[in-house]
Amino acid sequence: MEKLYSLSATQMKDLLDKKEVSSVEITKSVIERIENTDKDIQAYISYNFENALKAAENVDKKIASGEKIGAMAGIPVAVKDNMCTKGLRTTAASKMLGNFVPPYNATVVERLIDSDAIIIGKTTMDEFAMGSSGENSAFQIARNPWDTTRVPGGSSSGSAATVAASQVPVALGSDTGGSIRQPASLTGIVGMKPTYGSVSRYGLIAFGSSLDQIGPMARTVDDAALLFKTVSGYDEKDATSKHYEYKGYGDSVKGMKLGIPKQYFGDGISAVVKEKVYAAVEKLKELGAEVVEVSLPSTDYALSAYYIISSAEASSNLGRFDGVKYGYSGSKRGNLEELYLSSRSEGFGAEVQRRIMLGTYVLSSGFYDAYYKKAKALQKMIAKEFDDALKVCDAIITPLSPTTAFKIGEKSDDPLAMYAGDICTVTLNIAGLPGISVPCGFDSNNLPIGFQAIGRKFDEKTLLTIAKAYENSVGGFAVKEF
Amino acid sequence: MEIDIKHIAKLAKLSIPDDKVEMFQSQMEGIIEMVENLPDIEMGGALIDPDDTMELREDVVEQSYPRDEMLANAPRMAAGCLLIPKVVD
Repeated sequence: MEKLYSLSATQMKDLLDKKEVSSVEITKSVIERIENTDKDIQAYISYNFENALKAAENVDKKIASGEKIGAMAGIPVAVKDNMCTKGLRTTAASKMLGNFVPPYNATVVERLIDSDAIIIGKTTMDEFAMGSSGENSAFQIARNPWDTTRVPGGSSSGSAATVAASQVPVALGSDTGGSIRQPASLTGIVGMKPTYGSVSRYGLIAFGSSLDQIGPMARTVDDAALLFKTVSGYDEKDATSKHYEYKGYGDSVKGMKLGIPKQYFGDGISAVVKEKVYAAVEKLKELGAEVVEVSLPSTDYALSAYYIISSAEASSNLGRFDGVKYGYSGSKRGNLEELYLSSRSEGFGAEVQRRIMLGTYVLSSGFYDAYYKKAKALQKMIAKEFDDALKVCDAIITPLSPTTAFKIGEKSDDPLAMYAGDICTVTLNIAGLPGISVPCGFDSNNLPIGFQAIGRKFDEKTLLTIAKAYENSVGGFAVKEF
Repeated sequence: MEIDIKHIAKLAKLSIPDDKVEMFQSQMEGIIEMVENLPDIEMGGALIDPDDTMELREDVVEQSYPRDEMLANAPRMAAGCLLIPKVVD
């Protein structure tokens, strides 16, 4: 039999149902796998092995006694380190929260526990989810399993890397401007940013509250859907969450209309990415989909609108870190002002400070109308253009990342170059729409490429169906031997 | 576009060490230059979306967290209170 750790969540579930393996056996296999490979992958800030084994024993007891078990019983899951786990350090990869131990669970974590999933550890990320490479972590830089000299993308860098390296079958990421989809694309896995409001943000450390959304990362579409089904749905603790009902998915795109927006295939997108995404579109046509051209003319402005809105919200959200109530407390304590300044300047990394300052600037007196107000107007316009486009098609197909994974250090000193890489992903967060990253080939260095499918609000079903049909047609996605 | 980085830092309650001022200054100017090319769009209505209302839970009193659990992450405390530098002379 294949190694237990390398199985998909769905396969693990099947073996557990047939009582061919125990939850403890699976968990031990996964722990051993992480212990053997994580020095090269660097995916985890905190391990949760002891509690994971206890939870696995509990699942085995339930199975043995014929007690009802949850939908993810015995499945090891990794959780991005910006989702609160009671009693388990949650850092957002920041020195600011280096010693923070939450007194409560995020709703998604609560739902994982209720479904009998096994939480194996907390994955590294860009500090406060600000970044596109994982390099902004205050602790460690996760590696791309396809080439460990390269980044796995970000900000959900550790979640992408641990899934791609077959350390765990599934992980939760969060996506404010592409932070699930871009690392999924760069590591050759499936990642979905669900519709804003479909998954509770309670207990997710806030970055851009009107854009943040938690979603699944996995090596198969079935696994991504299973995790999404488990964590989605209304939560009274998040006033922006909606009464979302998971609708499943199919495996045929026959008769489906797919829109191709020319604005997403411009000069900024590398030739090989375009080639592979067009090839995926051809494949979907062969499978019975119809392709139509659509137009999203405001795409050029999306990046500006995104960085203004997300940074404005970040500067407000991160105002709570004052060195008094929790988190890092600064070295200068002569008076209150000194305490604030030293706590924040010593506790936040450079990228977080840049975003806070950008947000402060665009919201400051005299500049608000020129930046924030205009960006909000553009947000409406972008959302309307998507609405119109999605009236003539069922989903939109685009590239996801302009390039394949870049070298560690290649862009880390150049924030603008890093921001430019987010051009294909930020629009969805701005419009509140769901999007999925689906692996669709490799470049000449054997680095993965993904395409993005964008759907109507709360129509994850169509996205999962497209992904599933494509996955079947290529006989499953390649997994890196590691 | 020239910006006063020290002023923005002050508003954001950050203090930039002298040897980093130049780096942050030029990076921030680049970023502002990137985001400032926004078109003027006539936008009717409010900034919030009237179709996307929030649902508030019932306002009922519930058991909260024990005080010691909530204070367990405080950097400095004494007698069940958070400690800060003296504010009033």
